[in-house]
Amino acid sequence: MEKKTVEIRGFMQLREYFRRKNWPVPLILDLEEAISGYELAEKLEIPAEEVEVIFVNGFVQALDYRIQPGDRIAFLPPGCPGPYRIALGFYGKNQDNQANFLIHKKKENEQG
Amino acid sequence: MNKFIRVDMTTKKVEIQEVPEKYVGLGGRGLTSNFVNDEVKPTCHPLGKNNKIIFAPGMLSGTSAPNSGRISVGSKSPLTGTIKESNAGGTFSQKMAKMGIKALVIEGMPAEDEFYILKITMDGVTIEEAPKEILGGCGNYKAIELLNNKYGEKVGIALAGPAGEHRLPTANISFKDPDSNMRSAGRGGLGAVLGSKKVKALVIDDTGAPGVPIAEPEKFREASKVFAKALLDHPVSGQALAAYGTDVLVNILNEAGGLPAINFTKGRIDWNENIAGETLNATIKERGGEGKVSHGCHAGCVIRCSQWYPDKQGKLITSGFEYETIWGLGADAGIKDLDDIAYIDRAMDDIGIDSIETAVAVATAMEGGLLPWGDGKAVLEAVKEVAIPTPLGRLIGSGTTVVGKACGLFRVPVVKDQGIPAYDPRPIKGIGLTYATTTMGADHTAGYCISGNILKVGGNIDPLKKDGQIEYARAMQIGTAAVDSTGMCLFVYFGIADNPAGYQALIDMINAQYGINLTANDVDELGKSVLKVERAFNKAAGFTNAHDRLPEFFEYEPCPPHNEVWDFTPEEIDEVYNF
Ligand code: SF4
Repeated sequence: MEKKTVEIRGFMQLREYFRRKNWPVPLILDLEEAISGYELAEKLEIPAEEVEVIFVNGFVQALDYRIQPGDRIAFLPPGCPGPYRIALGFYGKNQDNQANFLIHKKKENEQG
Repeated sequence: MNKFIRVDMTTKKVEIQEVPEKYVGLGGRGLTSNFVNDEVKPTCHPLGKNNKIIFAPGMLSGTSAPNSGRISVGSKSPLTGTIKESNAGGTFSQKMAKMGIKALVIEGMPAEDEFYILKITMDGVTIEEAPKEILGGCGNYKAIELLNNKYGEKVGIALAGPAGEHRLPTANISFKDPDSNMRSAGRGGLGAVLGSKKVKALVIDDTGAPGVPIAEPEKFREASKVFAKALLDHPVSGQALAAYGTDVLVNILNEAGGLPAINFTKGRIDWNENIAGETLNATIKERGGEGKVSHGCHAGCVIRCSQWYPDKQGKLITSGFEYETIWGLGADAGIKDLDDIAYIDRAMDDIGIDSIETAVAVATAMEGGLLPWGDGKAVLEAVKEVAIPTPLGRLIGSGTTVVGKACGLFRVPVVKDQGIPAYDPRPIKGIGLTYATTTMGADHTAGYCISGNILKVGGNIDPLKKDGQIEYARAMQIGTAAVDSTGMCLFVYFGIADNPAGYQALIDMINAQYGINLTANDVDELGKSVLKVERAFNKAAGFTNAHDRLPEFFEYEPCPPHNEVWDFTPEEIDEVYNF
């Protein structure tokens, strides 16, 4: 029988967000039918500009990607260093979202 | 910078020359690699009298340009047998540059079994006997303290640790950082070359140094401002690296299925939370004390990816706790406790061994039955044996290839005898091409730099597909060779990759300093020329295209969860260097 849940993780400051919400890692969420990354972020109250790309079953996808029940998801804020941004395919997937090279003002309160 | 210093350890003669015409416009890796290709006999034994080792600050080192204090060290590598450039932070580069020293070369080797210290001041270089207390197993932390006491807190230090004294191929060169901790020119065993020349340490005192002249100061200031802003405004270089360090990559690579684990038998682990950058950050904050979430490895670094990791009582265990080290011990060797990893990291710094090569060798030793999987305490003891060195210590200190042979293994993750770092080439194919072809042996920093033309070639890369990967690997290596010549930390590229004004500002700074007119195209050409020179040396040393290959097991062992194999043909791989 098909699993009607999704498994969700958040990295960088979103990992901290999980901690504050007291969510387990991974968070298991019931999901009856496919939704987009945007909709899932909204459900979890994760602001879209905090997400550069999402991982779906180990592949980098754009936020409008359709997530299916049974998928493994991770939200990744802008901040992944290195050539991996290209090698993992970020540049093909982050073009249309708000986090794309959004030139953030330095947010002091998120620094260590 | 007008001084070119040669120290001959056979005759103990020091010569301070004018910079040869050919090297005037070069710095950092561009200079070290050209020099090695010009003067080192390609077929020489790396530990014999015909090898030479050269230290050179980057083109912008010693100026106020952010992140420009990296030092390049070049030689023929005892680990790989190829040409090698290894670079590091610390205070050495800026002092050299301010003293007008373009490069310092050590050649020859003494007949006697004595270790020496080279003391560099504005008056020249003196060769002194090394104090007995810092020899024969004295750790680097202690050695730096003793040298500080003897020569003054402010001096810069480059040091061969116990591993370097024993001429082991994992030996690095440790550079004192502004807090008297260490940054390492890690890869390729250059500490062993220093040890073979019986140089225990270089001590540099820049009292009376004139500083670096800037041809057009106003222009320089302007460009430097634009550049710093580009770094600080970008989410990678302005925020993520400071908060999580390079260890931010554990979760990302793990999620992508490209985090090599248990000696490269899989690409994902379920104990990633134990060792991830997010955990590192939370632990440092929670423990407080001497812990620091972010820290710069040299004055003028605005990105500050380094950190101080404290123990439960808040006392510093190790600084500069990097992703590659944490990956190697945590995922590849399966050590699930971050404190255990931190103590091993400290021991590696103390002994002066490359933390990547050692970690990969340790995981290989586990597969070979020399050490129990995941046992941090056993690894710490084994690593400490490198300083003695016991036979096990010598094995580990000889690197991954030697351990693999001694254990009779086929799954030995190396290219040109250098251990493959923290990114599995099967599910992330572009990285594999760089590992295979770089002039340095498997090296993740060889293809680091993201310049404008990469965004063109790399915009649509799919990590599992071949399309665009060859152009990507080529462009990355060319760009990196150029940045390595500037003295800039490679991480500046995260900040300027997406910001053309930032990239231009880097070139403008070089132009303003030297009163020249380089274009982006010239910088690209510089990168190409450096790679060509390095390849020419390797060719003369006996390397052919057949050495530009990944270990065979990648071709037939699928890497879960994506179950990909390495499938580039030899012809495709050889295309990378077709420029
Ligand atoms: S970003 Fe990190 S490696 Fe680069 S100069 Fe700063 S502290 Fe050193």
